[in-house]
Amino acid sequence: MKSTPLLQRASGHRSTSTSRSDRSTHAAKPPFAMSSDNVAISAEFSPELRGRPKAVAKVLRDSNKEEPQLLPKESVQDMAKDVTYICPYIGALRGTLTVTNYRLFFKCMDREPAFVLDLPLGVVSRVEKIGGASSRGEVSYGLVCKDIRNLRFAHKQMEDSLIKSIFEILMKFAFPVSNGLTIFAFEYGQVYPENGWKVYDAQAEYKRQGLPNESWRITKVNDHYELCDTYPSTLVVPVNIPDEELKRVAAFRAKGRIPVLSWIHPESQATVIRCSQPMVGVNGKRSKDDEKYLQTIMDANAQSHKLFIFDARPSVNAAANKMKGGGYESEDAYQNAELVFLDIHNIHVMRESLRKLKEVVYPNIEESHWFSNLESTHWLEHIKLILAGALRIADKVESGKTSVVVHCSDGWDRTAQLTSLAMLMLDGHYRTIRGFQVLLEKEWLSFGHRFQLRIGHGDKNHTDADRSPVFLQFIDCVWQMIRQFPAAFEFNEYFLITILDHLYSCLFGTFMCNSEQQRVKEELPKKTVSLWAYINSQLEEFTNPLYVNYSNHVLFPVVSMRHLELWVGYYIRWNPRMRPQEPVHQRYKELLAKRAELQKRVEELQREERMGCPHLSL
Amino acid sequence: LLIMFPLKPTFKSYLLPVQTDLKKTPQPPIKKLEAKLLPGEIVVNEVSFVRKCIGADSSHGDLWGKLICTNFKVSFITHDALPKQRFQVANRLLGEHDVPLACVEQVVTVNDAKGKQKVLCSNQKLKFNPTELILYCKDFRIIRFRFDEAGPQSAKKVCLAIAHYSHPADPQLLFGFEYVGKQNYGSLGERVNGVDPGGGLQMPLFDRPSEWDREIKRTGAAEWRVCSINEGYVVSSSLPEYFVVPVSLADQDLKQYLCFFTAHRIPLWCWNHPNGSALVRMASISDPLQQRKLDQRICSAITKSHPQRSDVLKSDLDKNLPNIQDIQAAFVKVRQICVIGFWDESEEKWLSSMESSRWLEYVRSFLKHSAEVVYLLEGKHVSVILQEEEDRDLSCVVSSLVQLMLDPHFRSLTGFQSLVQKEWVMAGHRFLDRCNHLKKNNKEEIINQYPAAFEFTETYLTVLSDSMWIPVFSTFLFNCSQQRTENSMDFAKSKCIPLGEEKALRFPPVWDWSQQFTSKDQALFNNPMYVGKGATCVQNGTVKSFRRTKKNYSSTLRGMPSSLRNILMDGHDSLTLTRRNSLVPWLKPDFSQIREVVESPTERFFRDWVSRPADLQGMLIPQLLPSHLALWRLYFLRWVPEASIPKGGSVTAYHKLSQLADEVEMLQSQLRQYKGATPASTPTSNPSTPSSDHSRMYFKAVSTHEPSSTPEYLSSSFPFSPVGNMCRRSILGTPLSKFLNGAKIWLSTETLANEAL
Repeated sequence: MKSTPLLQRASGHRSTSTSRSDRSTHAAKPPFAMSSDNVAISAEFSPELRGRPKAVAKVLRDSNKEEPQLLPKESVQDMAKDVTYICPYIGALRGTLTVTNYRLFFKCMDREPAFVLDLPLGVVSRVEKIGGASSRGEVSYGLVCKDIRNLRFAHKQMEDSLIKSIFEILMKFAFPVSNGLTIFAFEYGQVYPENGWKVYDAQAEYKRQGLPNESWRITKVNDHYELCDTYPSTLVVPVNIPDEELKRVAAFRAKGRIPVLSWIHPESQATVIRCSQPMVGVNGKRSKDDEKYLQTIMDANAQSHKLFIFDARPSVNAAANKMKGGGYESEDAYQNAELVFLDIHNIHVMRESLRKLKEVVYPNIEESHWFSNLESTHWLEHIKLILAGALRIADKVESGKTSVVVHCSDGWDRTAQLTSLAMLMLDGHYRTIRGFQVLLEKEWLSFGHRFQLRIGHGDKNHTDADRSPVFLQFIDCVWQMIRQFPAAFEFNEYFLITILDHLYSCLFGTFMCNSEQQRVKEELPKKTVSLWAYINSQLEEFTNPLYVNYSNHVLFPVVSMRHLELWVGYYIRWNPRMRPQEPVHQRYKELLAKRAELQKRVEELQREERMGCPHLSL
Repeated sequence: LLIMFPLKPTFKSYLLPVQTDLKKTPQPPIKKLEAKLLPGEIVVNEVSFVRKCIGADSSHGDLWGKLICTNFKVSFITHDALPKQRFQVANRLLGEHDVPLACVEQVVTVNDAKGKQKVLCSNQKLKFNPTELILYCKDFRIIRFRFDEAGPQSAKKVCLAIAHYSHPADPQLLFGFEYVGKQNYGSLGERVNGVDPGGGLQMPLFDRPSEWDREIKRTGAAEWRVCSINEGYVVSSSLPEYFVVPVSLADQDLKQYLCFFTAHRIPLWCWNHPNGSALVRMASISDPLQQRKLDQRICSAITKSHPQRSDVLKSDLDKNLPNIQDIQAAFVKVRQICVIGFWDESEEKWLSSMESSRWLEYVRSFLKHSAEVVYLLEGKHVSVILQEEEDRDLSCVVSSLVQLMLDPHFRSLTGFQSLVQKEWVMAGHRFLDRCNHLKKNNKEEIINQYPAAFEFTETYLTVLSDSMWIPVFSTFLFNCSQQRTENSMDFAKSKCIPLGEEKALRFPPVWDWSQQFTSKDQALFNNPMYVGKGATCVQNGTVKSFRRTKKNYSSTLRGMPSSLRNILMDGHDSLTLTRRNSLVPWLKPDFSQIREVVESPTERFFRDWVSRPADLQGMLIPQLLPSHLALWRLYFLRWVPEASIPKGGSVTAYHKLSQLADEVEMLQSQLRQYKGATPASTPTSNPSTPSSDHSRMYFKAVSTHEPSSTPEYLSSSFPFSPVGNMCRRSILGTPLSKFLNGAKIWLSTETLANEAL
């Protein structure tokens, strides 16, 4: 039986009650239907159902319902009949639109099988009323989504102008933050067997790395986020530097983000250190404390008498930052340190690149100029530079046995990309499902990547210059690594797509807020569910069956356009002409099942033989 | 040492860093090195104390040895061993450093003292003594030899010999004749060391009527018959001796029609769909006056052969597809980009240069056109005629792709070989004149998309492509089967080789893989995921073997849901294939206007198919979006050291899968042993340890106690290795960071320090 990754997911469910568009179970309430416009339409062949004949009867009944199956605490806010969804692939579809406090649900019953569109409102970036009343008396609305899609609806002009259009209701619930409402994650009350908030424990993770040790200590100086409000409470710093000195170093680093240890090589003791830019300014200010601090970091590694400072930015940008009081470490001031610029552009360039990419891939791609169009977005070029930077860092640490310091301007965007990718190359633990969760919790969440600002959860201000696809780029880089090392990661592509879908969905609390301090203040672990609770409740679906655990392997991907590819399974997944590739994984699982069956039979026969031929057992 | 090459400007990149390593003054080995020769192979020229360059930026790791030009290959013999490469596929006909002469694309000689270089052709003079020889190979390798310590005259002679013999003017200079003459026919006319041609092979070669008959039966083409009017090649030199035509066309009619077709290539039957629709190929009709009448007759004959008397559609390939010159030009460009181009420069514009090569565009147009033909056969139930001017190039590609998409039989290893034999070799593709690589790349695309549906692997296709350059195999050596027969008869006469009963010299077909590879290496051709019927299913308690049977073939297609059929029957699309069935443009994100989306029946057909789970034993339609076509990396990049992913690449997944598949096979054979032997009759048999040497998998299962791990030597180039070939920057022992693109522009004191050295 052939199946798609969707089938894998579907068949992994243990539920008996499912709706077509909702792949959830009661135990594990769903993400949302991510199927492309095409696959979602077929009741008979909908991807959620492939290979699940038992569910068919149930679904056929469900397909007569025009409303979605609701999550706990989810409630219908408005419903409108005779709404037209203008599908870019199939054409105009007339159906019923439902808006809840969590999702938008559209169902067209005219078609056989019924067409369903089901997406969380968190995905919506912008809702626009297009033009006035047309000749047919219709008004139309465009929805720009964070997940590459644009959706377009039309419906009859309300005769009574006092009645609100369903799209006004939609705008209210799509942007709860702008409208004084709570984000749905704070209401969603699903109980999972595991508390996902317990996945990451900083102390335990550092202990796994062998810390503290004779050179490195865990400091409590930031316990109440007084040293640095965007840093985690648990920090690893050199043994020789007392907390008082740390405060003086903080004064010289942007936003007080001092150099701290992220990872230590188990053999060479070379370390990956992260921080923000030094506050050098136009006058070339120096800080004896900062210089001594970096020297101490270098000394902590006996293998090398050098320290590499990787500045993620292009050198021009780094120099321009001096005008704003920032800058980079001069090699005069920092003896034995070498500074390398990694040429990665800032959040604004990346946002623009993704905007262009969206134009190129959605809804259709221009067949004749596909490659040059893709090239003109520079998306893969940016991916390449980020991976190349991470590779240089990993190479320095692994081959050069040298400690490295990584920073950009504030140290929460490019720095997070680089350190986490380098750690993924260096440490096999992070290539497991739980290890990857730890990596995200540590390098991204606890070290203050500003998810709220970069994604704009529930915020209608779609032009906010703080929005940027930094995290998406990181996940894209991870996907590129999975492609090059298909047996080195415990998780699969669907795991990455699920993370990205819930980056926007506002169903889980994981990606809410900008820092650990805010999360603690908002009591996120108490009030929301962690994405990892959902994921870890059905690991099977996210597991790469080809995974070989060779934890000592350091991965050096080939960072070349020859091997980088556009992630079609993410960016082009809405196109109904795209079929998810016949997964090797599925075949592997089938073989595993077959092996188990054969083993059982062989054992049975062996047992029979022993019983039938007593002389053999003698 | 900086020399610019006007002819191949990109070449400078190799030469920049040549250094003579003073610390390691070469001690040319004195021990005598002998060429390993095949029967009939003779040494033409040789030169000693040659250095084969491994890294470009230092002589470290270079190999010392003797360079020999024979009538078959360029051979380099050395005592120095490369770093252990136990994984490299060893070819039985070729040594590790050997290149068949037919694989040499271009011979470049260099004298760096004089700053000269010359591209050598056959029968040319060389006015300088070369210090360096660079061979550009058709399999994308670039091999470089230095003659610093070698005798200048003998070096020159070897270079000239290589240039001369690699581009033979006379086909009889091709080594195949000598080899087969010596190998198979001793002076007494007895078969020495005889390779029974085709005898040991379990596949049809389509050179006798019975094999066509079997194919007719297999596909249920009841109204078609084998025609033998071309026996002895009397009516057409490029047609096979036997082919298949509609029953309603008598030999008499065919003979009458012959002269109106280009090169007498009348309609040939290729394949029948289970619904009765036929796939037919033919040349164009040369006489415009006869065109209408002939078209009608042919069409009505084909209609009569259809059980439902369905229509016949003609697809003009010349109008719809790129011509072979375009394809060749695209291929040359891709090679330029992949292999010859300077790494860093090509990196920046990689995507747009790939686009401008148009290679993938052409690949896609073939796939798309074939998919449209599939739609007609499968969805519209009509027969299709592929028409091409000469019916010897484009129709080979399209007809074999269509059959791969529709008929699971051709996705098995032997099925595929018989397909190539049927549609390429017997149909008269000019292998001698063309180097048409297109077909394999095409197939690679489908394999990538449906990895489990094919019995063979990309390694198999790569090796098959490479075999085109070994002029020993009859399969790819000639333009048509008539030429094959004639040439070998002439050769036999001239060499006084008694042929005995046989009409002509029998060349071993390429399909006899044991000529080239050990059985262990041949296991690399097997795809562990192949879902041959019975490979996975344990039905009613009986375990089926891995080998699939042909019987299963038609049932899956017939089992297509009838609803799908109905939808397709209702479609009213035009009866001709349009040139560009381009996607309907859709509104920009600015929502400015609503445009009605019109979906053609073909698109609808594809979309419907995509929306349901693929039956790997049924029809397979490749992804036709340009974003889903990727370069065949193993084929194009395997010799490029910088592009090789250490410990990575799809082979790591293949490794894991093979081990598991091997385990499954072992368990199956264990079960068979239990079944075959009742405990009482063979109590001595030990079913717990079945012999595993018959396993079809290259990677064997490991015992469950050992930790499973991926071998260190796997890389994305596996089973080939770029080590030992020219690389622009040595990857041996240099820090990785030097390979990263843009290293130079980074303002790093480290980089500056390195450059100052």
